[in-house]
This record gives sequence, structure tokens and C-alpha cells, in this order.
Amino acid sequence: MTAAITTFLPPLAQPGYRLFDGPLLDAADVRPGQIGVVGMPSDWTHSSRLGTRFGPEALRKATTVLQSMRPQGVSFDPDTGQRSATASDWLVDCGDAVITPEDVDATTEAIAAMTEALSVGGAIPLALGGDHYNSFPACLGYSRGLAKRAPNARFGYIQIDGHLDFSDRLGAWGSHNHATNARRISELPNVDVSNMVWVGITGWVDSGELALIEEQGGRVFSAGDVHKLGTAEAIRQALEHAMKGCDELYLSIDIDAMDAGYLPGTGSIVHSGITPRQYYDLLDGLAEAPLGGLDIVEVSPPLDPSERTEFLAAEMLFRILRRFRTQPVTGAVTEQ
Amino acid sequence: MPLRSAPLPRMAGHLSFMRSQTKAIGDVRSGDLAVLGIPFEDTNAPHAGQSLAPRALRETSVYFGWHANPQFSHPVDIDARQDISTDGLHERLCDLGDIAPGSEDAIHAALKAAMRQISDNGACAIFLGGSDRMSETARSALPHCQTVQLGGTPADARDFHIAPLPNGTTTPVNRDTAAQRAAFSEWRDPSKPLFVRFDLSVFETSLSALCDRPRLGGCDLATVVQWLELLGRHEVSAIMLTGLNPNRPGMGVVKVGQRLMVTALLAFIYARLGFGIDFPRRQTSKEKVLT
Repeated sequence: MTAAITTFLPPLAQPGYRLFDGPLLDAADVRPGQIGVVGMPSDWTHSSRLGTRFGPEALRKATTVLQSMRPQGVSFDPDTGQRSATASDWLVDCGDAVITPEDVDATTEAIAAMTEALSVGGAIPLALGGDHYNSFPACLGYSRGLAKRAPNARFGYIQIDGHLDFSDRLGAWGSHNHATNARRISELPNVDVSNMVWVGITGWVDSGELALIEEQGGRVFSAGDVHKLGTAEAIRQALEHAMKGCDELYLSIDIDAMDAGYLPGTGSIVHSGITPRQYYDLLDGLAEAPLGGLDIVEVSPPLDPSERTEFLAAEMLFRILRRFRTQPVTGAVTEQ
Repeated sequence: MPLRSAPLPRMAGHLSFMRSQTKAIGDVRSGDLAVLGIPFEDTNAPHAGQSLAPRALRETSVYFGWHANPQFSHPVDIDARQDISTDGLHERLCDLGDIAPGSEDAIHAALKAAMRQISDNGACAIFLGGSDRMSETARSALPHCQTVQLGGTPADARDFHIAPLPNGTTTPVNRDTAAQRAAFSEWRDPSKPLFVRFDLSVFETSLSALCDRPRLGGCDLATVVQWLELLGRHEVSAIMLTGLNPNRPGMGVVKVGQRLMVTALLAFIYARLGFGIDFPRRQTSKEKVLT
């Protein structure tokens, strides 16, 4: 009797979700031009409200749920009229990087190793945070991979965010935390501050950080600028500035640029006035950009019992990945 | 005196509004902004929890204290590209603590006495409520005062109402903010004290989420900020925050309501202290580059 019980293994738990319900494979199995997903379930480099370590899993679940509402191969993208592509054609979920709490070097290298492997092979790393510090190791690996793949290539950088994250140090957290990620990225060898652009910054920022960015040629579009210019024009200018003399774009999506009235499930909420529609329009404006790598960070499910934050964030991924996940309609389409 | 001398951790230590200095009420000076908590709620409120609002507002305000952090240089308003001097915060903002619990009569008497003393000292009271019923008590200590009410249910037709909750007796809200501002200038009598009631219900409910009296058609944050900036340029005797329930079932972690209120309240505080776009001693951001 006991033997029968121990040999019978019913599916008691749901298997882990993969982003967009794509295949779960090793980073080495990702083909050039495909999206390679790297989870970064770490929030111990955040200084206040935690919970983003549950972000990757929430994004995987939310994209899978939304994907199920858009049957692959038969549904139209409502804005482009293109049909959805099968996730396995364009995306591989490589699982999570090994996070070592309280060892920033080990965590950084673990994440960077995965994004580097993807970038070297010509794939596009998509890193799922985690707090925003993890954007640095994700970009570090991408930068290393780009240097190996194309030694003379340079990349531009756009960060959609409520905050600059350009501090050199943050109190007890030192030099590697969610307020310093952009500063650390600016120190990488194949990016220049003059090709770095921030979009959606709101409220008060440190004058020293702002001056340092602007004196070196970087550009900052505040939330007010987005309202005044309009989303299409703001992101057009941002992309043009970031790509001057560059071959690829690295995009860091911090969901907290969206007004907290809509999106409360994030560590450092702001009242930017940027609505979901505006945020999606910004990402639509980058959907055809020459993406070399990207990350989406600061999704904190425990801070939003309504779960709307993770679905708003999942829709961001649907927007920015449009050219990967849709194809032109070439034959008859059967509605389901 | 800095609002705080150690950069972090910001969640530890004695909790005062924006880490401001604490004072006894007798030490409040002319020109001060004196914060006083009123942690009481109505027993017939739809949800328990309003009494937790003063603490929630103070906790949230600590997030906004970063500008006093010595690791940063001066803050810049990113939209206006304007440096903000915060010296006045260190000198004039103070926290008096909370009204002590007791019998209902004793609580009302204590609030009334506090309002009188702060007003007599020439300071502006910032009350962190709590039940909206306490507003009447504070107002009663200001004879012949005029009242501006943001949100909430209109109680007196002589008051100036901004986005009130509909109660069937008021006229529809005038959506033209410029016209309303002109109407306010006409209504205001500078010879009388000014009392401001700031209820969370002034915000569109889809933004606030933590209000016991939800409503459609409220204001966005930018509109409320504009009003509080305008009011901050007047000699306000007291502003009272009400309507926040940080403990609404299932919503305790969201904190959007208190952040909306504190963000808007800061516009009032900065205007009272003379900060902002027209601040004469402003600096350009280049003067404070970290090295």
C-alpha cells in the first residue's frame, strides 16, 4: 500500500510558468535573433518596500494568461492587424539566474553570465526583475556579449523610469543597489552617457545627478515633458538621441514610471500622471528599435493584492515585443 | 539643524512628519508649521482604520525626507528644472505628536485648545486626521474663519468647495479651474482666518483606492496640487487632512492614498515656506555637482 502511494506522483503542483508560455531551455539553445528570458528574483538590493523577488514568476504567469487569450497563430494583434506567432518561434525562457542573498558580486556575475551567453550568440536577452539594481548585471552581461560579438559596436540606452537611479552610492547600501544601476551602466566600456536617455522622471531629483547626466550629453525627459510633447514625439526624440552613432539599443523598463494610482505594486511608487495608455504608447514607439537587450523590473506582487500591476507590466512586454510575437498574415485565419 | 543627520535607514527611529524636529506646543513660534495628529475615527464609519491615518501619513512623509539626506546635493524639480531650497523645512516645520486619547469631550477640548494656542502663536496647524467630525472642533476654535473644503460632503454653503462629494443640495462642480480660482479670489476675505479641509475624497477614486467615501469625477493629483499651492500662498491658520483609511480591507499594503495626500500636502507646505518656482534664492543645478 505504501509502495503504491510512493510510486504514484499525481501533478499536485502547477508546473512553473514560462514567459509567454514559451519553451524552457538552456541559454545555449537560444537561436540568434530570438528573445532569451532570464529571471532575476532578487530584491535585497532595494532600500524600502520589498517583494520584487516574486516579479519574474508573476510576469511569467501574467504573460501566459494574456497569451492564452490571444491564441497563437489565429489571433490578430488589434493595433497592427498582424497575427500572433507561436512563442517557441521567437522566445526561450532560460529560467532564473542563481541569486545569492547578501553577495552582490556572486549575484551580479550569475545574472551577467546568462545575459552574456545569450548576447554572444546573437540572441536578445530579456531580464525579468527583481529590483532595479538587477538591471545592471543584466546590462553588464549584454555589454560583455556585445563586445565579443562585435568588438567595435556601441549601444544606446533608454531607461523608462520614475527615477534617475544615477547615484554613485546610497547610504548603507553602498554602490550597488536600486538607486545606482544607471550610474554603473554608464561606466561600461561600450556605452557613453551622451547616448543615455531617461524618460518619465518625476518629482524631485538630485541636482548633482541631473547635472552630471546633462553635462555629459545625456537627456532626461520628465513625466511633464511626456505630457507636453506627447508620447510619440517624446519617445521619437529619446530614441534618436540614444542611437546617435550606436548599433544597438538596451532598454530598461522600470514599471514605476506609471502613476501609482494605476500601478501600486512596486517598491518606489510615484505620482507621475503617466497613464497605462501613455506607457504603452512609449513602448510602441520602441517596438521597431534595434533592441540588443532589455529588462523589466520592479514588479512587486505582494504590494498589490489586486494583481493588476503584474498584468499592466505583462502588457508592457506584449507592446515592446510586438515585432517578435506577431507575423504578417499570409493565409486564411480561423477564429477560435 | 538638519531634519536628520544620518542618511539611512530611514524607517528606523522616532517617527515625526518628514523627520522634522519635535516640539512642545508652548514652543511653537510665529511662522512655524506645526503638525498635530488626531488619531480618532467614527464608530459608524463603513470600515475601521481611519485612526491609523496619522501614523500612515507620517510614515509616508519620511519617503519625502530624502532631500535632507547629506549624501544628496540640492533637489531639483524635474519638470520645472528648478532647484529647491529646503532650509525653511529644517527651521520651521515641527511635529507636536498626537492628541492624547481620552473621553470624547476631553479629546474635543484638547483639540480646540491646541488650535487656539497654535493660532495665537502665529503658526499654521497641520492636522493629520482621523475622523472628519474633528474638523468642526478645530474650526470652532477660529472665530469668523472662512473654510475651503477639498472633497468631503458640503456642510455650509458659505464655505468654498472644491470637488465636493455630491449630496443632492449642491450645485454641480465647476470644472473650469481658472474660473474657480477667480471665484476663490473674490470669495476670500483676508481679514478672516482661513481653515482648509483636505479630504481624500477630493481625488478620483480610481487613483486613491483607500477612501471610505469613493466617488467618480474627483480631481487628479495635478489639480489638487495646484489648489494647495494656491492656498499655501495665503495666511492659512490650519489645514486638516481627513478621509484616509490606510487599513481598508485588503488594501493595507497599497499606500496610494497616503502618498497622494502627502504629495499634495507638500505643495501646500512648500508654498507656505516660500519655496517653488518663484523662490528668489534659487540655484542652478550645475552649482551642486557631486564630485
